[in-house]
Amino acid sequence: MKKHTLLILALAVVLVMPVLMHSGSLASEVLIFGLAAMGCNLLLGFTGLLSFGQGIFFGLGSYTVALTLTRWPLPMPLALALAMVTGGLGAALVGWIAIRQKGTYFVMLTLAFAQMFYFIAYTATGLTGGDNGLLDIPRPSITAFGQTLWPLTSPWQFYGFVALIFLVAFWLLLRVSRSTFGRTLLAVRDNEERAGAIGYNLKLLKLQAFVISGAVTGLAGALHAMMIGIAPLANAEYHTSEMILVMTVIGGTGNLFASVLGSAFYLLLADWLSALWPRWLLLLGMVLMAVSLWMQRGLWGLGEKLWHLRQGKHGQIRDQTTVQGNKT
Amino acid sequence: MSTPILLEAIGIEKYYGKFAALGGVDLKVRANTVHSVIGPNGAGKTTLFHMLTGTKSVSGGRIVFDGHDVTQEPDHRRVQRGIARSFQVTSLFLSLSVRENLRLAAQGTAPTKAMNCWHEPEGPRACADTVASVLAKLGLESFASTPAGNLSHGQQRRLEVGMALAARPKAIFLDEPTSGMGIDDLEDMKCFIKSLRDEHTVVLIEHNMNIVMDISDTVTVMQQGRVLAEGLPHDIRSDDRVRAAYLGNMITGGKA
Repeated sequence: MKKHTLLILALAVVLVMPVLMHSGSLASEVLIFGLAAMGCNLLLGFTGLLSFGQGIFFGLGSYTVALTLTRWPLPMPLALALAMVTGGLGAALVGWIAIRQKGTYFVMLTLAFAQMFYFIAYTATGLTGGDNGLLDIPRPSITAFGQTLWPLTSPWQFYGFVALIFLVAFWLLLRVSRSTFGRTLLAVRDNEERAGAIGYNLKLLKLQAFVISGAVTGLAGALHAMMIGIAPLANAEYHTSEMILVMTVIGGTGNLFASVLGSAFYLLLADWLSALWPRWLLLLGMVLMAVSLWMQRGLWGLGEKLWHLRQGKHGQIRDQTTVQGNKT
Repeated sequence: MSTPILLEAIGIEKYYGKFAALGGVDLKVRANTVHSVIGPNGAGKTTLFHMLTGTKSVSGGRIVFDGHDVTQEPDHRRVQRGIARSFQVTSLFLSLSVRENLRLAAQGTAPTKAMNCWHEPEGPRACADTVASVLAKLGLESFASTPAGNLSHGQQRRLEVGMALAARPKAIFLDEPTSGMGIDDLEDMKCFIKSLRDEHTVVLIEHNMNIVMDISDTVTVMQQGRVLAEGLPHDIRSDDRVRAAYLGNMITGGKA
């Protein structure tokens, strides 16, 4: 694959959605959960860590941006940066403890954290608003020297803002995934025992992957809270972790653009199916079964297969023409 | 033999519950020698390897490597001291290319570089010289871009040893490098291990007595978690206790 293919694909998604879609909010949501799924993919697809704790970092991002924008007079970009910091710190804590175990017990530890975080968020009403969540989160315009540069009032205006952040984050994560660090993560995913035996500190590598994942997910949570104007308890719920994981798996693990596909597929299907049938989650379950049984490399893997089939056909036709050419 | 002692293990013990897998093993390995550890199945050879390379921690005893007490250091720290190992059961990065396997192994001696999130492992970060020289030694140049999982068993065994070599270690620990190898590959592997002695110290677990007796400078015989005998290959072969332990039938290989 050429070096910039994935970046061009991401740019194409960002540009095509406003043309094809009616709802700017839905389009923003696709990119926001694409970010969260990419964070999850860094752990699952690149490091081999199945984390049920992604909802924690998403929730932390939501609450941080809500608190910062409603209670403390911090500029909005700083609030987003702060959400990344809290997401990263939360991930450092969860990771620091969970990576002491492997396999099932690792998964159980992340699950335990997810449950605990939900109940803490539910109980600490002073900070989180409990069941009601934090309401009336403003969406301040981007200003410089008293001039409004970019108002975020309409859904499509906000989409533009999200798209810009998404593209920068996508580029940065792509860089991380291809860096020496990203390549070493693949070794950890393939064979932990050997990675340790040839000199790598597995805990440090996993912890760094967790922190990066948490920061991206925190950013996604913050953008989501700004989009819907509230930081609901649902963002801290276990269901959010599950949804992010499902998107990652459906899209395909080990490829960052696949996570955007997963997010788009999940949200668009949900949007379409929920209008048709209130029990649409049942159908989503079937999609997940199909992916798990027959296409473990997800939508991306399916796309790649189709692409190669097409290339193969072209190749064959070319071969035939040369053979015929030789005969004549 | 007069080369200095590179590795010294003193009274190594390993307990699993009450079971003593190792009941106080002493071992001295001299630099630039081939030191073989033999013994019947269950004698504790691989457990001793795990202790010496840090794959698992000791229950008692001390390990001194190159003048440093490494007893409490985990495996990845001991790699920085110059210890590298191969595994009895092939343990590779199967989805990654042969070249990438070796690059990762070479990079392992400077693991802080692995935390670099910004730069791709290219140019001076690619360890290209080390990788190329190991590829050549293994005779796997034409398979450099093949995923390790697609190699034949014999090739995988060679890469397994190459993973240890790529770290350019002082001491290289080989745990049954010939296991499951075809008869044609055995002689190659024997010459290969022998050639390692020029640049490395080799500690070898091997069941093939032909190889052990031909290339070892020192042989340590283990039985039930203890050292039964130690000496030059021909002394070991004629040792009555060793003959009794092996019932005389396993130790007949090699040149007389």
